Amino acid sequence: MTTRARTKNGYEHLAPLFHELAALPQDDPRRTVLRDELVTGHLPVAEHIARRFAHRGESGEDLVQVATVGLINAVDRFDPTRGTDFLSFAVPTVMGEIRRYFRDSSWSVRVPRRLKELHLSITAAGNELSQQLGRAPTPSEIATRLGLSKDEVYEGLEAGNAYHSVSLDDMLTQDSDNTSLGEMLGEPDSALEGVENHESLLPLVRELPERERTILLLRFFGNLTQTQIAEKIGISQMHVSRLLARTLQKLRDGLLEEQ
Amino acid sequence: MTAANKSFVDSSVDVGDIELRVPAEARYLPIIRSLAATIAMREDFDLDFVADLKLAVDEACSMLAGAAWPGTELRCRFRVTDNGIGMQASALSTVDALLDTASFGWRVLTTLADSASTRVEQVPGGYRVLIEMTKRGPHPADPRMGGA
Repeated sequence: MTTRARTKNGYEHLAPLFHELAALPQDDPRRTVLRDELVTGHLPVAEHIARRFAHRGESGEDLVQVATVGLINAVDRFDPTRGTDFLSFAVPTVMGEIRRYFRDSSWSVRVPRRLKELHLSITAAGNELSQQLGRAPTPSEIATRLGLSKDEVYEGLEAGNAYHSVSLDDMLTQDSDNTSLGEMLGEPDSALEGVENHESLLPLVRELPERERTILLLRFFGNLTQTQIAEKIGISQMHVSRLLARTLQKLRDGLLEEQ
Repeated sequence: MTAANKSFVDSSVDVGDIELRVPAEARYLPIIRSLAATIAMREDFDLDFVADLKLAVDEACSMLAGAAWPGTELRCRFRVTDNGIGMQASALSTVDALLDTASFGWRVLTTLADSASTRVEQVPGGYRVLIEMTKRGPHPADPRMGGA
């Protein structure tokens, strides 16, 4: 990262804010103000990194958005007491976010930018409404929330079908690393008891990534709704839906191969 | 299993039923599940309902596609009712064999849907394997939901 030394100097005035932020209690309203200030102040860093990736076929604005999410994560996770400076922490975090975006996010068909944004705002509104309502919202509730017509919401939801990955959804939610959930559920062995082909199924379920397995077990053996699972794991309901569809497909294919 | 003498596939098409016929092959399943999702969404069922219906339809139809005689078609009929969506799907088979209701796939289907059943009917030249399922949800047209 040849840029680090150069950009570093421009942000030193922000450093004390991290200490101030760290010292505030969790519920202090001033935290939001400081956080905003830190994010806004470091925005040029995100923009700069995004530009370096801009030739790869994704629109520049999308990348700046992704980089900004990386920056926000970095601001939230940075621990000033560790003695490292923020930029040497933030730059890899932002770059990681962009790499993940390239790796994970590909729309299976070309979806216009407007629809991607529509899909993003619908996902975000869906998350909020789920929390308020305690259940998944309906398309018309989302339309009301966003001030959109129902047809626009349909369009945005359908656009989500063309988008077969994750990172945009992830961006709107918290970190999804949650190992304790899997432990809490216990072994899949007992959950799958009574299913006829469970000997061939078990190895397939064990091979699933932790999160996919957790979602599968919570939905089919814990009987939680997709929205409840989304909340537990910290991802959006639409993301749960996609992961679940993919997992079931994988299991079906795996069982077919067995035969 | 006794063959019902009438099924709504071949008789009593309800006004408002939506039917789709595709070749009974796995690669056509996305078309069926998109239709299911579109119907549920436009009926304003909540997003959990839409997502679960989609998975259930996928599961049911892939079971049928697996049982179908190659080169035949898969029929899916959807019916919107006051409190949910019903689907009847069927495929043609040369053998009089019921789908395995002890399988993982059936477990998935019955978790996602509120009711599911399967049967085999004799038809000229072979058998028709059917799955009927319904998924219930608070219908948004219901005043209790507040509507929009």
